[in-house]
Amino acid sequence: MTAIALRVNQLLDRRSLPVAQLLLRVITAAFAAILVIGALTTEGFLSVDNVKAILGSTAFVGIIAVGITVIMLSGNLFSLSLGTTTAVCAMLFLFALQAGIVVAIVATVALGAVLGAAQGLLIGSIGANAIIVTIGAGALQEGGAVWASGGSAVFPPKNAPGMSFLADTILGVPFAVYVLVVLAVAGEYLMRRTRFGREIYLMGENKRAARAAALPIVALTAGAFAVAGACAAIAGVLIGAFNQNASLLVSGTFTYDAIAAALVGGSVVTGGRGSIARTVAGAVVIATISDLLLLRGYSTGVQILVKGAVVLVVVVLLHINQREGER
Amino acid sequence: MSSVALKDPRRTRELARTSAPFLILALMLVAFYVLPQLSGREATVFNVFNSMQNFAALGLVALALGLTMIAGEFDLSVVGMYGLGSMLAVMTGKDSALLGLGIALLAGLFVGLVQGTIIAKLRINSMPVTLGGYLLLLGLTATIGHDDSQSYPNLSVGSSLDSVVAQIFSLRSLVAVGVFVVVTLAMRYTRLGRDIRAIGGDRRASRTAGVPVDRMLIGVFALSSVLSALAGALIAYSLATATPDPGLAPLIFAITAVLLGGVTLAGGQGAALAIAAGAITLSLLQELFSILGTPTYVSSLITGGLLVLVTIIAAPDLKQWWRTVRTRRGGPTASAASVGSSPAATVTGER
Amino acid sequence: MGRALQPGLMTAPPFIDARGITKRYGPITALDDVSFELRPGEVHALLGHNGAGKSTLVKILSGLVRPVSGTLTMAGEEVTLRTPQQAQQHGVALVDQELSLVPALTVEENILLGNVESPFLQRPGGSRAATREILDGLGLRHVAPSTHVRDLAIGERQLIEIARALSRDARVLILDEPTATLSDTEIEHVFRAVRQVVAQGRSVIYVSHRLGEVLELCDRASIFRDGRHVETRAVSELDRRGLIELMLGDVPEPSQRDGLHEDAGEVATVTIRNLSVPPRVQGFDLTARGGQIIALAGQIGSGASEVLRALAGLVPDAQGDVSINGKDVRLGSPRRCVDAGTVYASGDRKGEGLFLGHSVQLNLVATRLPALTRWGLVRRGAAASVARQLIDVIGMDRKRMRTPVVSLSGGNQQKVFLGRCLEQHAAELLLLEEPTRGVDVGGRMEIHDLVRVAAAHGNAVIFASTELDEVLDLADTIVTMHAGRVVRTLPRRLATSAEILGDMTHGNSESRAGVAA
Repeated sequence: MTAIALRVNQLLDRRSLPVAQLLLRVITAAFAAILVIGALTTEGFLSVDNVKAILGSTAFVGIIAVGITVIMLSGNLFSLSLGTTTAVCAMLFLFALQAGIVVAIVATVALGAVLGAAQGLLIGSIGANAIIVTIGAGALQEGGAVWASGGSAVFPPKNAPGMSFLADTILGVPFAVYVLVVLAVAGEYLMRRTRFGREIYLMGENKRAARAAALPIVALTAGAFAVAGACAAIAGVLIGAFNQNASLLVSGTFTYDAIAAALVGGSVVTGGRGSIARTVAGAVVIATISDLLLLRGYSTGVQILVKGAVVLVVVVLLHINQREGER
Repeated sequence: MSSVALKDPRRTRELARTSAPFLILALMLVAFYVLPQLSGREATVFNVFNSMQNFAALGLVALALGLTMIAGEFDLSVVGMYGLGSMLAVMTGKDSALLGLGIALLAGLFVGLVQGTIIAKLRINSMPVTLGGYLLLLGLTATIGHDDSQSYPNLSVGSSLDSVVAQIFSLRSLVAVGVFVVVTLAMRYTRLGRDIRAIGGDRRASRTAGVPVDRMLIGVFALSSVLSALAGALIAYSLATATPDPGLAPLIFAITAVLLGGVTLAGGQGAALAIAAGAITLSLLQELFSILGTPTYVSSLITGGLLVLVTIIAAPDLKQWWRTVRTRRGGPTASAASVGSSPAATVTGER
Repeated sequence: MGRALQPGLMTAPPFIDARGITKRYGPITALDDVSFELRPGEVHALLGHNGAGKSTLVKILSGLVRPVSGTLTMAGEEVTLRTPQQAQQHGVALVDQELSLVPALTVEENILLGNVESPFLQRPGGSRAATREILDGLGLRHVAPSTHVRDLAIGERQLIEIARALSRDARVLILDEPTATLSDTEIEHVFRAVRQVVAQGRSVIYVSHRLGEVLELCDRASIFRDGRHVETRAVSELDRRGLIELMLGDVPEPSQRDGLHEDAGEVATVTIRNLSVPPRVQGFDLTARGGQIIALAGQIGSGASEVLRALAGLVPDAQGDVSINGKDVRLGSPRRCVDAGTVYASGDRKGEGLFLGHSVQLNLVATRLPALTRWGLVRRGAAASVARQLIDVIGMDRKRMRTPVVSLSGGNQQKVFLGRCLEQHAAELLLLEEPTRGVDVGGRMEIHDLVRVAAAHGNAVIFASTELDEVLDLADTIVTMHAGRVVRTLPRRLATSAEILGDMTHGNSESRAGVAA
């Protein structure tokens, strides 16, 4: 233990800063090497079908991760209920299909945005802790969903109009992947070019300064969570259409996978730094790792384990790197 | 304006703050006794025993989380360690339950030390670190358990842990009570309690004053993980099974109990005894749900609503927000009143 | 006036002997090859302006920062102090300028906090008798040891901080500006405690701006200027005049400027009546006109910063009649105050000012995005041209436009920060808190020029400063503040440095003999 403490102390010492940088490079290189070697030696990894599979499994997580990135950039850590929101929205979507596909999609996205905005209002106005509010909101959404659905899975109406395109593949790639690409581009545009996006970045970088500069903190926070909720709802629509049924079980590991994607993409958890594009890259990396582990026959447990380890290492290394930059 | 004149209302407020968790517990006990009768049922001593059984598992997780919150941090990995503790106990304790327990506790110690060192030495936010830690532990739990629930063959361990002692306790809940007593004593009668509250209250001031901040932080995280592992191991022996993923329910319980116990997210405040009161209150509530046959979704709604409610009450900017809202909503009258006798106080109230 | 030196004081071997101490913070050299010695049984004053290096020396002696070079000997033994605990073990107790009390703990807990000799086992109230005695000695008879520090007034907190240091039986007691927030009676108690400490053969390092206190209490004084040690003299050889000369050096009095500027069209008018900012400031009145630069001169705790924060809408409880350009402003919300035409630049540049990770350009336009937005989209051309204008105004190279602010020097960071606050709209109220904190001399002059230009354009400028030089150099009207109240308001041309220093450090130059006059 003391050896580790000593080592870390050294890392923090101004004179041995290059060591930290070196460590960062070594670990990144080692990681890349493992990936490449793994890719080359795993049968079936380097096939067109497998690449499509990776893209497909990136899509749902990626769409939610786009939303969680906006929350993270706004300086509100992350939401622990987006997976639940996704499931709830999938259920609403299948239920609302009886009113027509357009109505169903609009209603679902609106529900997601409202659920997010409500949490954001609470967090922005009274400084309530984002993690805890979202955990509580998750339980509320679960309770509400069970109450509304009677606890059973929701199926689409018999002659569901025109929703098959949502689950189709185009040029061999699932529709959801196109949605992810469009969302990522639109999200990047939102964050880089609009006043909303720029002010989210500013608020996330330094909330006290944002307050002193009279930026609209409550509106920005509510907006960030609304965007995240809407993204989760879009994922819910696609998942509902894909599965042809929806229950709370849909939420699965989406919440953590999306957070992991954003963190691995290099967004700083305390806000202000990172981007949606990087998050999508992070989602691809995680999907690739999962795919590789799956192909090599590792269990779900090992996949989660590796995800956790990657998150931990990336968070720590980014932190060290960032501190260095600020000296 | 000396502090003498103001001392009494402050004392009263302080007393109200510290006694609130126990008042809520008292109210809960009344409700626990009265509510079932209203619907023609009855709360028995066995129901109290059941509540304490729940407390034995989740109360310890609440204490683990609560200690990190008093120190101004937040350990999301408590559920991960709770899960890993139970899986390790089941998988390694087949021959000797004590061995399994020991291995679970050692694993907790190691995990806590590593997380604590990262957080203290790198001065890094504990949320992302412990989130990573949580995922890692979750994966480890599932890996060790071969992605499935694992049963513990020696059922006698569970039955002796759960045999009734003094009507409402079991050996397991007595262990939890004992841990709470020890931590309460340590918080009151040793330097540690003061130092933990100090580093949560004001990290910089504590460092300047000479508190060994880093060592305390590492210790708090180590203790947090050990307590979570203990809770997990005991519940696993009790149920004679360990699941690969305990879900978020234990975390929701722990956070709500800690906030009910008067610990604030800002840190620096809180006592183990009050956390115990919060945890017992919640255990009674959950038992009440089962006595009344409340549908799961209702209890889920109430639990979630309760968590959001206590979070709102504990929110740091609540007062400030309320003041701002008041001045904004008040318009001309309120602001004229607020500036008192000044004759120049005419406000156009354009908003 | 100084205390008669104790026999043997001048010959006893020094308890602390620091040689050639140098400390740098980034590009700023806080201490430059400083030597210092402290003898047993003496009260040793450290004198100098803000930024002279006193506090840095104090931090090194108490283990809070480590010097780049130099040696430190304590009781004849060479030591390296890595942590406050190590300093404590060598017998040093510090009363920091920034209080190091934990508000959530009780008085008694705070006094015991961090004491390396505090036993592992504690009884609540176990040291109550000892605590009581120390508190009584400091005139805190009315404070119960079980009171929470958050419930105490600022002066009482300062005394608790001193009580903690006294409770440690240290061989060296360092008091860094212990009296800035205290009343006369409270100061008498502190003096008595200090005299008791030295009577036991222990030593006290006394850092203060207040010359009267130094003359009354101290045996020797070391004077610092710009990170250098100027001189150490026996206080008995000195008087007020001499001390001020040593502190100010041979810097000429800054040239006096005319209060009026050329008018540039619209001119701001600001009236502030009966402003109160709980818990400290009450009954603050001020009138400002465009072109005017007003200094609120006062030490930490004087209320000067609080007034600015209230005017910026950052204090929810603040009340008062404020009108800008004839329109009444309701305080309590940053948005309302900004809409009314105030611009606030916090003294905490990194914590509450800049968005460090973002580019110079984004920082410059951060507060004017609404004006640069059409249909929710930021007009990039317009934003870039505004940023170019501002970067020219602050005199920075346009090539730095895309650089993250975090990589700039302190002076340049401050310029970017002020640049963001300039020329938002015409005729506004600029509120600048410590406009040149942590900025070197060259940067300071440039920043002062920026402020003057802003005033000349018709803005009213109110700045808060704890630094005498800055007040005298920049302001045309000086409002001195102490303990939450205005001491007096006077035009720059009628002010002398000694007067201002006296007001800032003691509130009322008549009430106490020996204060700089």
